[in-house]
Amino acid sequence: MATRLMFENSCEVGVFSKLTNAYCLVAIGGSESFYSTFEAELADVFPVVKTSIGGTRIIGRLCAGNKNGLLLPHTTTDQELQHLRNSLPDQVVVQRIEERLSALGNCIACNDHVALTHTDLDRETEEMIADVLGVEVFRQTIAGNILVGSYCSFSNRGGLVHPHTSIEDLDELSTLLQVPLVAGTVNRGSEVIAAGLTVNDWTAFCGSDTTATELSVIESVFKLREAQPSALVDEMRKSLIDSYV
Amino acid sequence: MPRGPTRDKRRTYKSKDQKGFPLSSKDKGIPKHTLEGKSDLSGSSEEEGSEADFVFFDPKPDDFHGVKILLQTYLDDTQWDLSGFVDLILAQTTVGTVVKMEGDDDDTPFSIVTALNLGRYKDHKCIKELKEFLLKVCQEKDVIRDLRLLMGEQAHDVGLLVSQRVVNLPPQLLPPLHDALFDEVSWATEDEPTAELRNSFRFKCYLLVSKIYKHKNANQKNNRNLIRRSGSDGGDGIVYIKPEDENFHKLSLWSFSFPMHAQQVETQEASNIVVCFFWF
Repeated sequence: MATRLMFENSCEVGVFSKLTNAYCLVAIGGSESFYSTFEAELADVFPVVKTSIGGTRIIGRLCAGNKNGLLLPHTTTDQELQHLRNSLPDQVVVQRIEERLSALGNCIACNDHVALTHTDLDRETEEMIADVLGVEVFRQTIAGNILVGSYCSFSNRGGLVHPHTSIEDLDELSTLLQVPLVAGTVNRGSEVIAAGLTVNDWTAFCGSDTTATELSVIESVFKLREAQPSALVDEMRKSLIDSYV
Repeated sequence: MPRGPTRDKRRTYKSKDQKGFPLSSKDKGIPKHTLEGKSDLSGSSEEEGSEADFVFFDPKPDDFHGVKILLQTYLDDTQWDLSGFVDLILAQTTVGTVVKMEGDDDDTPFSIVTALNLGRYKDHKCIKELKEFLLKVCQEKDVIRDLRLLMGEQAHDVGLLVSQRVVNLPPQLLPPLHDALFDEVSWATEDEPTAELRNSFRFKCYLLVSKIYKHKNANQKNNRNLIRRSGSDGGDGIVYIKPEDENFHKLSLWSFSFPMHAQQVETQEASNIVVCFFWF
């Protein structure tokens, strides 16, 4: 299910939060209703962690992560790093990397299997991404924009990209990512998809300016209507029991 | 719906930027002209500055995002229906002006000025929330009574003056901008199709919400802040961000200020001020 919300009158929820299949990060200093909206959806599944990165609240744009790990920019302070290591589940590797392009959330878009990155990212960073996040890395542009992390958002089930992406690009990206993609907007015509939307395999949060049409596109491409965390667990359980003699 | 004759709205203003002031300190609406000539031209007599043409437009729905950014801190950091408020402003094409730069591909608004009748829009959620907010923050007992009247029974005669712009908009634009607004209000009283709409622009008074800076220790004697105060301050330690606010404040019937939470500056406190003044 997709939920609409605001962070202090701003509809850019993807800037102030980071949602994955194993954890959720939320910026400090927002109203309690922002935090509690996330808690209401997620608290019984995994921790919702309040944090800052480098003393700022734009955490969604500074870090990149999936269920395997979390990459933080060099501007992250030691206390923040320690806080994240303590609060996140043990299987999530939290790593601070030295990369000139420190807005990792704008440069890297990933799900649990594939990552798209900025074309100018360092080689070492690319290796770190493959290592920590456990993904295959592709350098790409989206509709001519190098900030792939800003102009697209994808989960393991589907993805939304910049509205001006051509059909050929869409097909190419869809083949790379192995998920269905749709070109669309969020927050009433905003092209910066990842700033207005944060999504995982069963839920999405977008800005309250998002129109009903945009919301229905989001729910259909990310397959949110049937998805519940228990549904995924049930599927896993069936296959587990099959192999248990 | 038949519309009356519209007066020629588009006006272009050539504005020469002041020396040494870059035309874009904010990142939106990057003008094509940039500041030229710095230290390497110290010997030449070339004028440092850039030219920009500004155009006044009627509000239109496409301006939504730009105007929303301009009005982001209109009611401090309260969560309210800002989107609805912006929609209201943009729907009112007869009164209201958006200032844009000529030839700007981005089409971003640099300024928005409009007057909304509080009675006409009283059923909208954003106006209700705005009224609630103002009544809540007003700490002065003698003013709150008048404010309540304006919000309630006399709402139909009150125009909410909304005026917001980027910090470095050239001041030469301000007189024509405000003239345009008040002209449009008087034209609307004649040109609007229905009598109800025509009357809705016969404002008896205007309400203005604006941001100012107030010296924190303005009441303390022998305070260094007071000594360092420049001549441009108001006598009571107020610094007006928008110069016309000082004039409006002087002409006003009453006013009150309340502290803002969205911004803190060290020696001075950011406050919001609400003024009400008569229009003949």
